[in-house]
Amino acid sequence: MSPLKSIYHWLDARIGVGELVEKRLTGYLLPRSINAWYSLGSVLLVIFALQVITGILLLVYYVPDAEKAFKSVSSIMNDVPFGWLIRMCHAVGSNMMVAVLMLHMLSVLFMGSYKSPRELNWVTGFILFNLVLGISLTGYLLPWSQLSFWATTVATNSAGAIPVIGKYLVEFLRGGKLVGPPTLGRFFSVHVALLPLLIGAFIGGHLFLLERIGVSTPPFGLKETKNTWQGDRFRYDAHPGGIPFFPNYMLQDLTSILIYLAIFFCVVFFTPYIFFPPTAFVPADPYKTPAHIKPEWYFLANYQTLKVFPNELLGLLVQGVVMTFLALFPFIDRGRERHPFKRPLFLACFISGIILYIAMAIWGHYS
Amino acid sequence: MQNASRRKFLGLCLGGLGMAGAVAGAYSVLSYLAPLSDEGTGGKISFSVTEIPPNGAKFFDFRGTTGVVIRKQSGELVALSAICTHLGCIVQWEQDKQDFLCPCHGGRYNSDGSVISGPPPRPLEKLAINITNGIVTVG
Repeated sequence: MSPLKSIYHWLDARIGVGELVEKRLTGYLLPRSINAWYSLGSVLLVIFALQVITGILLLVYYVPDAEKAFKSVSSIMNDVPFGWLIRMCHAVGSNMMVAVLMLHMLSVLFMGSYKSPRELNWVTGFILFNLVLGISLTGYLLPWSQLSFWATTVATNSAGAIPVIGKYLVEFLRGGKLVGPPTLGRFFSVHVALLPLLIGAFIGGHLFLLERIGVSTPPFGLKETKNTWQGDRFRYDAHPGGIPFFPNYMLQDLTSILIYLAIFFCVVFFTPYIFFPPTAFVPADPYKTPAHIKPEWYFLANYQTLKVFPNELLGLLVQGVVMTFLALFPFIDRGRERHPFKRPLFLACFISGIILYIAMAIWGHYS
Repeated sequence: MQNASRRKFLGLCLGGLGMAGAVAGAYSVLSYLAPLSDEGTGGKISFSVTEIPPNGAKFFDFRGTTGVVIRKQSGELVALSAICTHLGCIVQWEQDKQDFLCPCHGGRYNSDGSVISGPPPRPLEKLAINITNGIVTVG
């Protein structure tokens, strides 16, 4: 018997590896009509893992001190071997994570996969989206550049529009009246400890729900596209006669991951500064506000919404309503039909929502 | 048979690419984590001779460790490694006794770095020193 087979038998006799493989991989059946969009979750897991690894590596040299942070980041970029690569992977990866997460959510909306009994999958996913936005925002301050400093000033200032508690909330977020060294300490601890733990926990919950309820069937190419679950008792959504996760769908997962990595490394190697305006290379100066400070691309639509409304509170309220509506969407859209072309109202809102978001972001960029 | 060999070939290509990527990634990470070298200054350190007090010592970072220059009663300058040869603690200059004491285990060295007493097995390492126009260069 070969050494590998001996190890396999040794493990199988103790923890039942064979049964585990049969149950979770080769015997784990997915719908035959499953498509590539379902692999975005695996892509996101890889991105999160890369963010954790590059983040831990950055912690080796990064100094979370207002006097030293910018210098330590400059040193990572210029002095440490391959430091530029680690930092660029982390910075580009954070942007890519938001983009892929948006695509994942849009595909779930389009295919009606959020519908019962998967409301909790949607809610945990939506919370994850907000946590990822939070970890991106807190990470933005850490290089302590002019861009970091003033983008954080603008972002935290928005909370001041909330009646009664707004002023205190801004001070609480900043650890003082203005953005300063205490803000860096707060954002650093939230960025490297609190949010990664929360994201890890919610990923665990999201995967548990996926495993427990079963993968949804895409609504395309079927005669009957209505939701058949009656809502009376728990039912695992099995797919008899489906394709096994291993090796069939794992190959699709790997293909999507490799396509993602190809795009990711193209950005890292050929246009690394696409997400870095010139103010990102100047150390923070609390006495000199640079012109045209803009937030990251994924906050541009929110930024422009605040500008469109004459009252900042109204702008915040509108965004709050939209986010609450999206968070509770599976409880609002209770129709049984899942095919997007048989849901004209949904499809109209879906397309116009995407167009509006992109238009507001472009407007925000050029305004 | 043809399909099997093609599959094997593609598998080998993919495995090779994966291996090359893993090696490139591991090389980057190991280089990133390796200690930084002092190539920029050629490992030398310079300071003004006035920074060394009469009969006193000046300690400084030197090639990732600690060095010391002392001014002996005769006025001569001596550069030594400040790392005790016993267990690597930093020795201290005792101005009144004109010798080095290692506080960890009581090892003593004279102003030339030779062992006077205690557990150190070897004298302190001597460092090259050069004085030009009032500037001391060690290394």
